[in-house]
Amino acid sequence: MAAVATCGTGAGSTGSMVAAGSKNNVTSFQRRGPRASGSDSSYSRLVSIAGTRPSVRNGQLLVSTGLPALDQLLGGGLAVGTVLLIEEDKYNIYSSLLFKYFLAEGIINGHTLLVASAKEDPADILQELPAPLLDDNVKKDFDEDACNHKTAESNIKMKIAWRYQLLPKMEAGPVSSSRFGHYYDVSKKMPQELIEASKWHGFFFPEKSSSTLNIEPCSLTHGYIKLLQFIQNIIYEEGFDGSNPQKKQKNILRIGIQNLGSPLWGDDLCCTENGNSRSLTKFLYVLRGLLRTSLSACMITMPTHLIQNKAIISRVTNLSDTVVGLESFIGSERETNPLYKDYHGLIHIRQIPRLNNLIYDVSDVKDLAFKLKRKLFTIERLHLPPDLSDTVSRSSKQDLAEPSKLLGPGCGVMAGGKKHLDF
Amino acid sequence: MESVLALRGLVLLRDSVEWEGRSLLKALIKKAALGGEQVHILGCEVSEEEFRAGFDSSINSRLVYYDLFRDPLNWAQTGEALPGGPLGALQAMCERTDPGPVTVALDSLSWLLLRLPCAALCQALCAMSRQHACRGGGPAAEQLCVLGLLHRELHGPGPMGALSSLAQAEVTLSGTAGQASAHMLRRRPRQRPTLETLWFSVLPDLSLDLQGGPPLESQPHPDPHTPQVDPASHLTFNLHLSKREREAKDSLTLPFQFSSEKQQALLRPGPSPATSRIFYEPDAFDDLDPEDPDGDLDV
Repeated sequence: MAAVATCGTGAGSTGSMVAAGSKNNVTSFQRRGPRASGSDSSYSRLVSIAGTRPSVRNGQLLVSTGLPALDQLLGGGLAVGTVLLIEEDKYNIYSSLLFKYFLAEGIINGHTLLVASAKEDPADILQELPAPLLDDNVKKDFDEDACNHKTAESNIKMKIAWRYQLLPKMEAGPVSSSRFGHYYDVSKKMPQELIEASKWHGFFFPEKSSSTLNIEPCSLTHGYIKLLQFIQNIIYEEGFDGSNPQKKQKNILRIGIQNLGSPLWGDDLCCTENGNSRSLTKFLYVLRGLLRTSLSACMITMPTHLIQNKAIISRVTNLSDTVVGLESFIGSERETNPLYKDYHGLIHIRQIPRLNNLIYDVSDVKDLAFKLKRKLFTIERLHLPPDLSDTVSRSSKQDLAEPSKLLGPGCGVMAGGKKHLDF
Repeated sequence: MESVLALRGLVLLRDSVEWEGRSLLKALIKKAALGGEQVHILGCEVSEEEFRAGFDSSINSRLVYYDLFRDPLNWAQTGEALPGGPLGALQAMCERTDPGPVTVALDSLSWLLLRLPCAALCQALCAMSRQHACRGGGPAAEQLCVLGLLHRELHGPGPMGALSSLAQAEVTLSGTAGQASAHMLRRRPRQRPTLETLWFSVLPDLSLDLQGGPPLESQPHPDPHTPQVDPASHLTFNLHLSKREREAKDSLTLPFQFSSEKQQALLRPGPSPATSRIFYEPDAFDDLDPEDPDGDLDV
């Protein structure tokens, strides 16, 4: 029985190897089945949208948040159709940076952007995006506008053991978008041509609000109604929910909403305790419904430190899918704590969604801190600095020295002493 | 020192009952008027005569004053009042400013906050700087300065927090022993906020006298023992053992340690067969043969 089985697979493998010889593949092993259409990535049949990849845990389609470190903490990335809520830090420095990373990632991947804000004009926000850090050879091609054959010539001259020159070359597009998460340089701005080449829609609330209407209680604030209508129009017109069957490639809509819940949207949630508390929660509920039926991902930054009614924060957390809180040390007493002197703040992963899953995808690291260096924003595990002072207690080594005496003289003279040794 | 006071954007002057801020507001207005800027004042809390007292005539002629104190609800219907109530007055002020550096003083923002919905006031304040930028001149950040006098004790943390998040600078007035101090928190976009403390006094002719530090006799003695902040105190992992835990840890015998109790236990005779028995009930599939216990194995 077993012998017959091996013969069968042998025949199968030879058949596939014959087929592989005719294709321009990286590997010579090929699965029997419908042929891959041109691209040599093994994901090409499953994923046809740029900048996305399926999750390795549950197959959900993921997009990158712009920070590969944050992607890893969220279980691979942000799932398409979900909401990422960022609880802003007190002075809104780092949360606006995460917002810009999200939009910059959308531009690099060629996604459509929808930027909504009540404080800044979306065009101004897009001018401030960080520049991507490109790979060296791709950057050279982009800068010099050189063709592919230049690098091919240099390869042929080199003597390489393996036949690398037969492998297909990487496409030297403006930015290599085959990678999932990109790194950005905060000190530089994104080049103007990339911003102009991208497709974006802006929603600036003070321009869209026509008149000051009377706000009825228990209904959506005027600003939220307008924003939801705008988002719904864009999703429908551009076909992100599959309503207009399009010949062209499917794309992801990245929605970024800044400072949701602040008084500039007309919501008095931050000002009073007993305000119109249903408005924001209704907005999030309707937004989630819009997102689940379309190919879009949303990032919202919310000044939760201003919300007076704490019950609302828990409701808002339940209505969002992924919630990340930022706590910066500026102005707080933690700034002088020697534990935190290397970092600029703490990052709390408050909630991770359970999408088509029975278990949560939570990382086991709970103490995370972030630091904004000159070029990069890094998230690290919080660790104590080494305690090199003289007063550190070494009593545990003392206890170990005692029972080692019982081991007998064979262990050597060192075990007998009460004094421990310092190395 | 004067460059420190180059405030632009929305500036909140937060005063309290002990340390009033109207004199500082007037001093800043005088400085702006002497600097050639247009100055518009919305007066709500004190009458126009009382506010203009202290300014000399040249400055008084440059001030554009909108009076909401005399007739805030427009009962007299004289036609001089600005339409739309306080919110309309703010918008009208904004429309009447010419392009160029402008200082708008709101005396006081607390009065407006108590009568208008907070969200509407925040939107109006943001709209002011934006419309001024649209009208001409450079970016609004350098052109328009809105000084708002805010009485800290009148408002809860909600409205104060909402206005602080909008403001580009917050000046909190306090002081020790008769010397007023101003703690300035400046928020610049995309930069860390800076906090500095200035000691000042306002002279009778409403000019600002900045001093380096508090008077010497009122300086508190420095604390000899600054408490050391223990870095390991509030962590999710526990580094220090309590006394009880330490005792429990010390008294625990490790499994591979040969102590005297274990020696005694081994030397003691084993328990009698009567004390330990195994009870087993054979079920339907058992086929026990007492002579050959391995009879049912299929080997």
